[in-house]
Amino acid sequence: MGLSEQPAERLPVASSPPGGVLGAGTPTFLTTRLDFVVNWARRNSLWPMPFGTACCAIEMMAAAASNFDLARFGMERMSFSPRQADVLICAGRVPYKLAPVLRRIWDQMPQPKWAVSMGACASSGGVFDVYSMVQGIDTIIPVDVYVPGCPPRPEGLIYGLMMIQEKIREERLSEHGTLRAEDPAAVARARADAEEVLALSGPFGNSTRQNRVSGPTGSDASDRPDDRIP
Amino acid sequence: MPASTTVEALRAAFPDAVVRDLVQSGDQQVVYIDPSRNAEVLDWLRTDPGERFNLLVDVTAVDYGDGRPLEVVYQLWSIPHRRALRVKCELPLSRLAIASVTALWSAANWLEREVYDLFGIEFRGHPDLRRILMPENYAEGHPLRKDFPLRGRFSRAEQTRRALSQDMEQYYMPDEMEGRGAPQLVPADESATSGSGSQGR
Amino acid sequence: MTRRTVEIPVGRGAEMGMDARPAMGPLTPVDVAEPDIGSEQMLINIGPQHPATHGVLRLICELDGETVVSVTPHIGYLHSSFEKLGEYRTYNQIVPLTDRMDYLAPLIYNCAYAMAVEKLMGIEVTERCKVVRVICLELDRIFSHLLWLGTTAIDVGAFTPFLYAFQERERIYQLHEELTGARITTSATRVGGMMSDLPAGWAQGVRDFIDTFPRTLNEIDSLLTTNAIHQGRTIDIGAIGPEDAIDCGLTGPNLRASGVDYDVRKDRPYYDYETYDFEVPVGENGDCYDRYLVRMEEMRQSVAILHQALDRLPDGPINVEDPRVSLPSKTDCMNDMESMIHHFKLIMDGINAPAEDCYFAVEGSKGELGMYLVGDGGPKPVRWRIRPPSFVNLSAIARLAEGHLVADLIMINASLDIVLGEIDR
Repeated sequence: MGLSEQPAERLPVASSPPGGVLGAGTPTFLTTRLDFVVNWARRNSLWPMPFGTACCAIEMMAAAASNFDLARFGMERMSFSPRQADVLICAGRVPYKLAPVLRRIWDQMPQPKWAVSMGACASSGGVFDVYSMVQGIDTIIPVDVYVPGCPPRPEGLIYGLMMIQEKIREERLSEHGTLRAEDPAAVARARADAEEVLALSGPFGNSTRQNRVSGPTGSDASDRPDDRIP
Repeated sequence: MPASTTVEALRAAFPDAVVRDLVQSGDQQVVYIDPSRNAEVLDWLRTDPGERFNLLVDVTAVDYGDGRPLEVVYQLWSIPHRRALRVKCELPLSRLAIASVTALWSAANWLEREVYDLFGIEFRGHPDLRRILMPENYAEGHPLRKDFPLRGRFSRAEQTRRALSQDMEQYYMPDEMEGRGAPQLVPADESATSGSGSQGR
Repeated sequence: MTRRTVEIPVGRGAEMGMDARPAMGPLTPVDVAEPDIGSEQMLINIGPQHPATHGVLRLICELDGETVVSVTPHIGYLHSSFEKLGEYRTYNQIVPLTDRMDYLAPLIYNCAYAMAVEKLMGIEVTERCKVVRVICLELDRIFSHLLWLGTTAIDVGAFTPFLYAFQERERIYQLHEELTGARITTSATRVGGMMSDLPAGWAQGVRDFIDTFPRTLNEIDSLLTTNAIHQGRTIDIGAIGPEDAIDCGLTGPNLRASGVDYDVRKDRPYYDYETYDFEVPVGENGDCYDRYLVRMEEMRQSVAILHQALDRLPDGPINVEDPRVSLPSKTDCMNDMESMIHHFKLIMDGINAPAEDCYFAVEGSKGELGMYLVGDGGPKPVRWRIRPPSFVNLSAIARLAEGHLVADLIMINASLDIVLGEIDR
C-alpha cells in the first residue's frame, strides 16, 4: 500500500536480489517496472463495490451518471458482487444492525482491496451520535480514504477515488505478501479493539485522529512531493 | 369549540369508553378512550356509516417521561367523509399492553411492531410481534422511552461487539414464530454495566 | 408425470439405440418423469446489500420453483433514530435532520416539518412563502419521481431512462444549490418562513426547467409506456384492489393507482392548493403499470402547478413578522440592545411551542407524509413522529408479491417507490 518507511523507488536499481525477480528485499529494475505496469493497470480499472445506504448513495449515483461520469476513471463498472470488486465505497450511514453486513462484504472482497468512507456519517457518525449508529466505519473495517461532506459532492467522491489511485501507484508487488496478508482470525470481527472504539466515539474522537490519507504516511504536500498522477 | 359530531356520536355509542375529548392546534379533534376497549371503539369508528374512518394513517406512542402514562396514538382519516380524528389511549407504565388492531387494518401490523420495538408496548393478538427496526439481539431496552439515554445504555465498544455478533444467517418466517410463544420484553433494569453479552449469537 | 420440453442430445452411433431408430429432434417434447425433488420450498435472501432493493432492504423469500410463496421484509438496516434525536434538538435544529430522512425529496420534508411546527404554534406564513413552498414541494415531487423512474427502469432492464432522468435531476440539483447552497441536504425552511428569499433569477431558472423538462419526459415516456418489454413486466404484476389498498394503509400514487381518489392536496388542502388547477391521476388496476402511469402523469401535473405558482409568485416578505419566531433584522441587532437580546434568545434558547400536539400531513412524493409533534411549552418537542409513507407502503409488499415470480418481486418493490432513510428513520 505504499506504506513502507523508505521512499518509493521508481528509478531502476542495478542490483540483483538473491530471492529472484519477485523475491522479498530490495527492489530491482524488473520489479519496479512490473510494479509500475501492474499498478497502472490496477488503478485504471478499479471496480467499485457500491455499499450505498443513504443520501451519499444518491450522490454516488449522480457521480456514476452522465454529468460526472465515473467511467472516465475506469470505474463505470459498478460491481454489485463483492467477489469481483476492488474498492468498497461505503456511502451513507451505517447503523449497528448493518455493521456485520459491511464487515462480511469487506471480508468477501479479494485482495488487493481498498475502502472509501464517503460522507460524514460513514467516517465518524456525523450528526447521528445516537444509540443505533456506528461511530465511523473505521471501527469495523480498515478505511483508506475518507471523503468529508454531508453528502460530498460527486467531485469530492471522484477526488477520493483518485487518491485511491495514488495509493495504488505506491504499491509494490514485493510487499504484497506482507501488506495484503489476510488474518483469518480477523474475519467478522471489528477492526478496532474496544479501547480504540471508545476513543474514536468520544467527542471529536474521529476527526482528531485522521489525516488526509489514512495510514502512517504523512499526507502533506511536502511529504508526498510527487503525488500527482502523470 | 364545541365537540365535533364524531365525538358526540362516539359518546352516544360508548358512553363509558370515552374518557375525554379536546381540540388541539386549532382544529384537530382528539379523543381519549379506555385502553381496554380500543379495538371495539376503533372498529365502530371504522365501520359506522356516519363515520367510516377507513384509513388508519398512523399508530404511534408518546412518552412524556416523569412516570406519566404512555399514550398510544391512532391517527384516523375518513376517505368518504374527509375527516380526521386522533384517538388516544393512556397506558400506565405498570401495564403496557393493549389490544392489537391488526384485525381491523393490515396497516397496523408494522406500525404496532414499531411501537413495540421502540416503546415496549405489547399489542395483544398481534400475529407477529417482534422487533422491526432494532436488531433481534438488541438488549438495551426500548429506545424511544424517556429513560433511555440518547447514546444507548451500553458503551460504544460493547455495542460494536454485540453488533458484530449478530447472526446474519438468521431469518424468520411467520410460521416459525408460532412456537416461540409470547415475545420477551427486555427487563427495564438491564443496566449499562452489563458486559456479559451472552445474548449475541 | 407432466409434459415438458427437454433437451435430448442428438444420438449418434450406438446412442441411437438397439433398434436404430432415428434420433429425436432436440426440442421434441417427450414425456419424462419429473424428478421427485420433494415439496421443500427454497428460501432465498435478497439484501440488505443488493442492487435491486433500492437501499438496505432485506427480503426473505420463500420460493416454490420461481414463484414467490411468501416474502418477509426485514428493515431497520438504516435506523438512524431521527425521532429520538429530535427530542434533543430545538425546533429549528430539527430542520437539517428532515432532509436526511428522505434524500430523494428533501424540500418536501423541510416544508412538511416547518408546516407542522407552524400549525402547532398557530403561525400563518406569508403569501410569498406559501407560493415559494408550493414551488419547492412540486419541484421535489418531480425530483423524487425522476429517481424512481430511472431506477425502476433499470430494474426492468432499461438503462437509458436512468441517464435521461439523471440529466434532468442534475438540473434540479442546480436549482437546489442556487436556492440553498446544497445539492441534497437542503435544510431550506425555518419555522415561519424560509432560510432566505429566492436568489435573483431563481424563478427564471425554474421556468427554464419546466419549459424543457416535459420534452425529456415525453422522450422517456416514448421509451417505456408502449414498450412491449416494459408492459410485459408491469401489467397485472402486483395488482391490489381499492379495498385492500386502503386496508394496507397505502397512500400517494400507490393508492391512487388502485383507483382511490385520495390526495392530501385535494382532500385537506394547504397553501391554497384548492386554487391551483391540476388533476389527480387515478389508476384502475393497481398494478405496477398503473403505478408507473400515475407517477408519470403526476410529474406533468406538477409542471402545471409550477407554471401557475410562478405566475402568481407575489412580492413581499418571505418570513412572518412574529416575535416568537422571526429574527430581528441585522440593522436592529447592531443598533438596539433589545433586538440583540431577542436575536440571542431565539438562536440560543430556540423557539417555544405550546404544550399541545399536532398532526400535519402533506402529499409527499411517496404518499401521505405526516408530522406529529407534541410540544411541552419548551423549545424542544416531547415527541417528533414522522408518519412515513414508504414504511406503510412497503408493509404491503408481502401481499402484493405472493404468487408472482421472483423477478417480478423486484419490479413490485421498485414500483412502490420506497426510500429506506424514511422507512427506518
